[in-house]
Amino acid sequence: MTIIEKIFSRAAGKDVSPGEYIWASLNLVVMRDFGGPNVIQEYESKFGDRPVFDKERIAITFDLHVPARNEKVAVNQKFLRDFAKRQGVMLFDINTGVGQHILLESGLVKPWDIIVGTDSHMNLLGAVGAAGFGMGTTDIAGAMYKGRLYFCVPPTIHIKVSGSFKKFVSAKDLILFILKHLKTDGALNRAVELSGTTIEKMNIAERITMTSMITEMSGDVGFIQPNSEVITYIESRNGEKIETIKPDPNAAYEKTYEFKVDDLQPQIACPHSPDNVKSVKELSKTRVDQVFIGSCTNGRFEDLKIAAQFLKGRKVKQGLRLIIVPATMEVAKESLEKGLYDIFINAGAVITNPGCALCTTGHPGILAPDEVMVSTSNRNFIGKLGKDAEVYLASPATAAATALAGEITDPNEV
Amino acid sequence: MIVTGKIWCFGHDIDTDQIYPGKYLPLTDKQEMSKHAMEGAAGGLEFIDRVEKGDIIVAGRNFGCGSSREHAAVAIRGIGVSAVVAESFARIFHRNAVNTGLPIVVFKGIESFKQGDMLRVETESGKMTNLSQDKVYQGTPVTPLEIEIMESGGLLDYLKSTK
Repeated sequence: MTIIEKIFSRAAGKDVSPGEYIWASLNLVVMRDFGGPNVIQEYESKFGDRPVFDKERIAITFDLHVPARNEKVAVNQKFLRDFAKRQGVMLFDINTGVGQHILLESGLVKPWDIIVGTDSHMNLLGAVGAAGFGMGTTDIAGAMYKGRLYFCVPPTIHIKVSGSFKKFVSAKDLILFILKHLKTDGALNRAVELSGTTIEKMNIAERITMTSMITEMSGDVGFIQPNSEVITYIESRNGEKIETIKPDPNAAYEKTYEFKVDDLQPQIACPHSPDNVKSVKELSKTRVDQVFIGSCTNGRFEDLKIAAQFLKGRKVKQGLRLIIVPATMEVAKESLEKGLYDIFINAGAVITNPGCALCTTGHPGILAPDEVMVSTSNRNFIGKLGKDAEVYLASPATAAATALAGEITDPNEV
Repeated sequence: MIVTGKIWCFGHDIDTDQIYPGKYLPLTDKQEMSKHAMEGAAGGLEFIDRVEKGDIIVAGRNFGCGSSREHAAVAIRGIGVSAVVAESFARIFHRNAVNTGLPIVVFKGIESFKQGDMLRVETESGKMTNLSQDKVYQGTPVTPLEIEIMESGGLLDYLKSTK
């Protein structure tokens, strides 16, 4: 069995196979500052003040519009705080960061878990072997009431990656390159397992980068078998002994793709689709107005550290705006302690508070028409960050190199 | 359920930002949300202006990809669309449609449909009749469990009625 088949078989109490519909108990139900109010409204209109199925297993995370950017958002956030108080559920307020990262740091996620939330990038939790599913309002309201939901067991696609990265090539370049080949519907209604020597060596930040972008190929969930570093991290956060997860040696995959990374060059996704991927060199000299480094895909300390290597002792190109946003307050604190804030501020960057930041128009820093941004985020859909603006997706190294040059730049050319 | 309406054609990979632009995410009133259905898609403004109750959206691959916002399914149903027929649906949109009672049918041959054609869709069997061209097609309907959920009035009513 594949990883998702194992997780769903255990949850259903019987062996399941792809295409089967099952009901599964949920380890955690999550909602955010956007979407969350709709969930509560839906819940209360149907179930009134009935207690949720288990208040220890419901979390509200504030990460999108933080701090509240207008009155409507402020009202929504207050609505969620009031609900959390009434029902006694967990709430991570505006001083915490990107929801999934907060759940990981708080020891609320472990291998085998089934977790649902109102964020389409819940599947980045597969970085530690948990099944994270992004879902809509009604599913989350139902989950909060029953603690169970129906699932269709997806077939699994296997992506095997071997080889060592060249200098300044990283997980982001690899996942963009994979997207170029699989396209935005390449894993539609499928689970994805990533394995191979390149993947096995990856740290948690790189694993998060890989699994977060399974969403962009329309995958249901994406998994990387935890290595000892991941297990140690989860155990240190969770405080308990953790059972790891791996596919059976004879697991049946619907398709297997193989990639070698030895010759991989830095990659960049061009407007307006994450699969419109070219090598950074092909785009060099493209004018850029703003660079964003952060998001659930590339907002870990390890990501910011790569950017700092480029920015140390240098200045961002005159006229270009560089916005850096740590994924969580813990990342911010580590960055501050290790001198990254000094480097960024001296380079001329703006650092804002932890959160999802420039992933959608909700956050300060959106673009004017015809402006161009290079972003380490995961999506560049048309209109997502300002009408008629153009967004390119790249690695922290490419983003930092571009910020210094003022035009799209291969990090090897800085 | 059997629905009949005029076809509105959209392309491949219509993502949730095209169906329901992110700037309207703070809206919680369903009627207000409905005013923006398909607003970000090519032809979306004309659609909002001229769509009539019962009309049917026909689209290509991976309809509803992108974010998890249920606003997308709610707004489409709210503006009066009676069904969406597409070559494939993104998982989250598929669930949101079922859970909120927006009928969907998967059909691989959408190029035979033209904007403005009258289409009849039998949502439980997936049978479709293009009344303008007098042709019958077989699409793939949702599963019996999902039909049961839709017939209960959506997921919450279904959960309420089950142990």
